[in-house]
Amino acid sequence: MNEFHDAQQDIAVHGARAGDFVRLGDTELVIRVESDDRQRGNELQIGFGKNARDGMGMQSTRPSQSCDVVITNVLIIDAVQGIRVSSIGIREGRISAIGRSGNPDTMDDIEVVVGSGTVIIPGEGLIATAGGIDSHVHAMAPRVCDAALSSGITTLISQEFGPFWGVGVGSAWALGHGHKQFAAWPLNVGILGRGAGSTNAPLFEALEGGVCGFKIHEDTGAHPRTLDTTLTFADEHDVAVALHTDGLNEMMHVEDTIAAIAGRAVHAYHVEGCGGGHAPDVLKLAGLNNILASSTNPTLAFGINAADEHVAMIISAHGMNPELPSDIEIARRRVRQATMAAENRLHDMGVIPVTSSDALGMGRADDTWRKTFAMASMFADRAILDGSVAPQDVVVENERVLRHVAKITINPALVHGLSHEVGSLQVGLLADIVLWPYRSFASKPNMVIKSGIPAWGVVGDPGSTVANAQPLTISAQFGAFGASAAELGVHFTNSMSTAHVAGRRSVPVRNTRTIRGTDMVRHGVLGSIDFDAHVDANDYTVRFNGDIITCEPAQVTTLTRKYVI
Amino acid sequence: MELTPSELDRLLIFTASRVAEDRRARGTKLNHPEATALISHAVLEAARDGATHAQAIQAGLTAVKPSELLDGVATMLSGISVEAVFDDGRRLVVIDFPSTPDSSSPGSVTRLEPLPALESEDIVTLAVRNDSTINISVTTHMHFFEVNPRLLFDREAAYGRHLFIPAGEHIDFPAGLTTSVQLVPISGNRILIGFAGLVDGPLDAPGAQAEAMRRARELGYLDGGAS
Repeated sequence: MNEFHDAQQDIAVHGARAGDFVRLGDTELVIRVESDDRQRGNELQIGFGKNARDGMGMQSTRPSQSCDVVITNVLIIDAVQGIRVSSIGIREGRISAIGRSGNPDTMDDIEVVVGSGTVIIPGEGLIATAGGIDSHVHAMAPRVCDAALSSGITTLISQEFGPFWGVGVGSAWALGHGHKQFAAWPLNVGILGRGAGSTNAPLFEALEGGVCGFKIHEDTGAHPRTLDTTLTFADEHDVAVALHTDGLNEMMHVEDTIAAIAGRAVHAYHVEGCGGGHAPDVLKLAGLNNILASSTNPTLAFGINAADEHVAMIISAHGMNPELPSDIEIARRRVRQATMAAENRLHDMGVIPVTSSDALGMGRADDTWRKTFAMASMFADRAILDGSVAPQDVVVENERVLRHVAKITINPALVHGLSHEVGSLQVGLLADIVLWPYRSFASKPNMVIKSGIPAWGVVGDPGSTVANAQPLTISAQFGAFGASAAELGVHFTNSMSTAHVAGRRSVPVRNTRTIRGTDMVRHGVLGSIDFDAHVDANDYTVRFNGDIITCEPAQVTTLTRKYVI
Repeated sequence: MELTPSELDRLLIFTASRVAEDRRARGTKLNHPEATALISHAVLEAARDGATHAQAIQAGLTAVKPSELLDGVATMLSGISVEAVFDDGRRLVVIDFPSTPDSSSPGSVTRLEPLPALESEDIVTLAVRNDSTINISVTTHMHFFEVNPRLLFDREAAYGRHLFIPAGEHIDFPAGLTTSVQLVPISGNRILIGFAGLVDGPLDAPGAQAEAMRRARELGYLDGGAS
């Protein structure tokens, strides 16, 4: 065999090693593996004729003294851990160790002890990320949860649980049902209360009902009094506030909204503005330290059809009527190519720290990983891998990839006060882990592990001799059944509420009021955003700290056409 | 029709393949699910029409042409498994669509620097003869001292050692033949629990090796130079 074949055989068996270049899906994103915790010759492998055997690669101890589950030799892409090959040990649903796996009796420097009874999930050829956190969901139908899980999302921050436009729920009685309903899925779920109160009265009831934060939305009032009441209340009770600003400029301009927020932490949803908010310049909220900005996925990977789909989407999602010319007019004002182009740039620059879906309310529940990385790919430099460039000189996208992973994992966890439980692959956090084939990274996961148990993923013909016979579908695994679904997920709540669902753990959110833009992992770039208006009222030039920020819409974006029927 | 869950699943293949067939007929280049559906469908239909297993594989391999696929999709079509209903019952068919991946292929791994060879400073080379009548295979992390008693070699020289081959591979010892192997020391804490029970403790404890040799001889493990 020649060198190339030797290399391809080694890669087929062991996956990528330190120094290897891996293309993520069909994107332009090529990463270089920074390190590999394995020792050559002692790589742990499970199967017929392999070394994960009692006394060899596995120690004859109780799993409770080693680990319950280990994901071996997987390529970790994590905003905190970086890009490395390692093994992830899991005990009672939490990550217990990350490092070289095996039997310390027969192998050097073992950090993840594998017991003879440990479940081994082979990770060779797979990428492990933390479970995605979708911080902007309208659960208008139960199957939105299926869509989210099928795309690698394990935490939802929802504003409803039913086919009604809630933009936050205030009734403690209704919230009690919502928590019970979400317990049917192996998901962490927090529900936002409706932050539409001129007094504390409605906010108190939502708090008692177990919300993890509040949503202020112009459809139910995003006025100075509402803003101040909700933010003051949130400060008193340590819960997050998500904001969809006054898009009509009915009572205030964006500057007035900033003044009303008065330096307090707030999560600015769909900051580009197409999803709603001060027209045309809500984007000015991005870049301020107390305002944690996010995008919703239809405008990401800014494409040639992005603007055209949005007028109809706005009318349909917001209870408007296409027969009413005034409705058409205000919808049109929300759709601007210039701010879409600028938004994509601001993501690449590390100014906007979070991506989300706006599922069933102007976004796609199963598209956030895909669109986030399609956007990253738009700005990537082409890696030259034909050997004409020395390995150390090949331009790779590790930093860009880690920045984009942060947008859908650790940063939304920080913004919503969840980072003591989820958001990255760190010892002590829930083992919410998504395994992706290299070839379909961010587009279609292979397995979604919820609190250490495979809960969703690729399943095949149920009557087959093997588990992977066509037709393969991405759907429920065992963790989604029985009492496990409830136990594997967390109900994110507040520290005052006693609302509780049998079998599901309630966890108060924390540190939501002190979080700032500069705390955002691999982001934290601050600055001022300004608009130069042109003759055409819907045409603008957007500047960041004085520099024009724009990009051309992409003709073709990655991670969709090759993967989705 | 009394369809089972497995039969219902097969109808998904049919539906997807019709969509893909329509798209192909329009000259549309196929993506990963479309091509997979056409390949799977071709296998099912060949089996239905009485094909043998080998003929069904051929039907799958020729179900789509590389020129009908979007760039890079051919490299994503490895290991397509499908269970078809043959005349002798349901059988598993696996199609590995031929392709030549390169660094632009989806999910490709490029290694520009060759992996250095496995190294060890302490290698023992032994001749090992299989004195039985059937093949014996030994994996990497087996304590070679405790392998099948019917292998004849210098047991003492193999104490505390395992095969010096890449993890996950094995060496065959054909019946009646002598095979040369390289052994390296077991690493870590050097504690062997289990196996054939010849050591069942720290390898380097005082007297452990002599006791293991005694047990091996008592149990009839072949020991000695092989040629």
